[in-house]
Amino acid sequence: MGKYILRRILQMIPTVFGVIVITFILFNIVGGSPAMMTLGKNVSQKSLEEFDEQRGFNKPLFFGNWTGTRAFADDYFERNASFWRDNPSVSRESGGNNHGNQAVLSPGKDFLIPLAFSLKPKTRYRWVISYHLAEGSASFRMDNSGDAGGNVRVRNAWPLKSGPKQQKAEIEFSAGENTSGLKFFLQSNKTPLEISAIKLRRATSHFFDSQFVFYLGQIVKFDFGRSNLSNQRVSRMLKDGILPSLLLTVPIFFIGLIVAISISLICACFRDSWLDRTFVIIAIILMSINYLVWIIAGQYFLAYRLGWFPIWGFESWRYLLLPVFIGVISGFGDNLRFYRTIMLDEMYRDYVRTALAKGVSRGGVLFRHVLKNAMIPILTNVIIAIPFLYTGSLLLESFFGIPGLGNMGINAINYSDIDVVRAIVFIGALLYVAANLLTDICYALVDPRVRLG
Amino acid sequence: MNKENKTIPAHSLWSDAWRQLRGNRLAIASLWVIVLYFALALYGEGTYWYYQWRDTTPFYQQTDLAEEYLPPSIFRAPFAGVKNEAGPAQCQCPILRAVKNLCAHPLGTDNLGRDVFQRTVQGARIAFQVGIITSCIAIPIGVILGCLAGYFGGRTDDFVVWLYSTFASIPGLLFILAVAMVAGKGLIGVYLGIGLTTWVGLCRLIRGEVMKHKTRAYVLAARSLGFGPLRIMFRHILPNIFHIVIISFSLRFPAAISTEVFMSFLGIGVQGEPSWGIMISNARLRLWQGVWWEMTFVTLAIFLIVLAFNLLGDALRDALDPRLRTSEK
Repeated sequence: MGKYILRRILQMIPTVFGVIVITFILFNIVGGSPAMMTLGKNVSQKSLEEFDEQRGFNKPLFFGNWTGTRAFADDYFERNASFWRDNPSVSRESGGNNHGNQAVLSPGKDFLIPLAFSLKPKTRYRWVISYHLAEGSASFRMDNSGDAGGNVRVRNAWPLKSGPKQQKAEIEFSAGENTSGLKFFLQSNKTPLEISAIKLRRATSHFFDSQFVFYLGQIVKFDFGRSNLSNQRVSRMLKDGILPSLLLTVPIFFIGLIVAISISLICACFRDSWLDRTFVIIAIILMSINYLVWIIAGQYFLAYRLGWFPIWGFESWRYLLLPVFIGVISGFGDNLRFYRTIMLDEMYRDYVRTALAKGVSRGGVLFRHVLKNAMIPILTNVIIAIPFLYTGSLLLESFFGIPGLGNMGINAINYSDIDVVRAIVFIGALLYVAANLLTDICYALVDPRVRLG
Repeated sequence: MNKENKTIPAHSLWSDAWRQLRGNRLAIASLWVIVLYFALALYGEGTYWYYQWRDTTPFYQQTDLAEEYLPPSIFRAPFAGVKNEAGPAQCQCPILRAVKNLCAHPLGTDNLGRDVFQRTVQGARIAFQVGIITSCIAIPIGVILGCLAGYFGGRTDDFVVWLYSTFASIPGLLFILAVAMVAGKGLIGVYLGIGLTTWVGLCRLIRGEVMKHKTRAYVLAARSLGFGPLRIMFRHILPNIFHIVIISFSLRFPAAISTEVFMSFLGIGVQGEPSWGIMISNARLRLWQGVWWEMTFVTLAIFLIVLAFNLLGDALRDALDPRLRTSEK
């Protein structure tokens, strides 16, 4: 038995890893820039960078020594209008000889390369400049007045050399303690400097300092970052939200279960009678009514018109009555059909016939024999439903103003609050995997054939 | 005529199933309801593209504050006349006028004077789009992965099982909403959200069936004739298990419609077009003012089509493969 459980736990690992990968792909790779998605497009580069910094989004995806920074948005003069657009000494040229658009800096002047915000202290950076210079040389100057620790190390070309072809220069420097006064200048002494691209890259602290590793670290520490909406810790929000969710879903689940099982037993007992058929028809009709309609109708008729229940809020147990009722009735159709099928499956087994032939009463057969054997699929269904209790009922909570995880999830999705969504999705999946494991162990306990299979 | 040459017409699975289905009156009625909705959806598509082509605001979007909150025509005074059309040039015959009156805004208008009936038809159009397109995404994924896993086994199978157990473990609705959020608001988000997350059940069923069929004699025969695995999978095995795809289609359709309604209601679904979810969220606010018709008719429209699909799906399942009943859920 222990061996079996161990094997199942080992089988769980790939699934958990899969969930991590899928949430990562979904939110980090496909999602584009989460900062832009949450904060909108009209915010400063600085706040975008801060957002990314907090959530580890400013790192390379899986590994890498260099990563982009928003301090200087990568400027391809071929595509973008450059930041020197309004400077009269800079002409923009669409070069015919495979160079595309270029910014051409006239000689003899200092050109400041603007930064959106001051750089991170004590970090290595690298300028990558693609240029063409016909004659003379051009200097790249770093003005680090007031910055003690900074130094410049030059790679490849210093100063920028002239040559007949397009060239690339990489200039590496370390920012010191105080980066607020850091300025960068370009100047060519003889002929115009034609630049096709300037990029600023930031060095990562080590090769695997990546988004993926950051995410793994968050998961291991069970720290899911901060909500952008309320600026609360996500783990804290989860903790606060779980109780209201459970208060709502647990009663719905158990009342629904008991009602559905008892009625399905009645249906199985009187199979093909008018009673059974009525219930089947009721079930399929209930199934076809949209969840939204249940909620709106319940709120309008039962709470507003008749005044039996409070309409909205979460103050005492009375506020839970209506949502629980709606939850039970909207799930009733599905549940009844499911359990009726299970019961009917069991009703035609040999042991039922034997028991009946032996003279056991119908009720006795139902409750003592059939129900016991039907327990296995029922149990599976119950355990598998547990993770869904945790996410709460998205709609019920947001309609009735119950501050649970479902409500939180919907808000987060509406406002693209990535960290919260990711945390809820991830924990929901984790619970599901755990519940699956639990079901299998229960199966193995009940049915020895499973263990050996 | 030689007596031995007379053959009894073959009973294929499909003709058998059709005969059984025809006997089921409820199923046939559902089929007609679906056909009717489909026709309405096609009409909606037609008007939509017509107005796109004309580059004008479609009439189901035109606001007309003179006609706001018009109740359904049978609840209006029969000779009152719709305000806009009342004029000296109008036909004087009272019966004709009453008929005309009945035909104008048959289901009433909403808070901006837009025709509820036309908007409901547009909703049907979007519902069918969602049902069909999400199926076009999910069913091929499920079928292809299921076939590959079942047929090749081994590493392929391990990979597919890993993939679908991963997908299955992420809470459904949240997953759909998260994908839609990442894909961006709008219909594309709805398609991708529903389509990319709901192939798991079908994949599982197909994989099991293919595994069973792999050992059958006809597959062995095909293999010994030297057919490649792709040909055996898709030309020989797939037709034999295609009924699973049909059943799964008929059952996923209403689920997709309900999900779309839900998403549009929350504001992450359709943008700027009259879908059922948007109509519900609009009508919900008016309900408190006693404007019941928009809500009622949209609800009824959704209810009818979902019920029809549920009934038809059940009947199809009984006709094609009664075994599936127990393996569901």
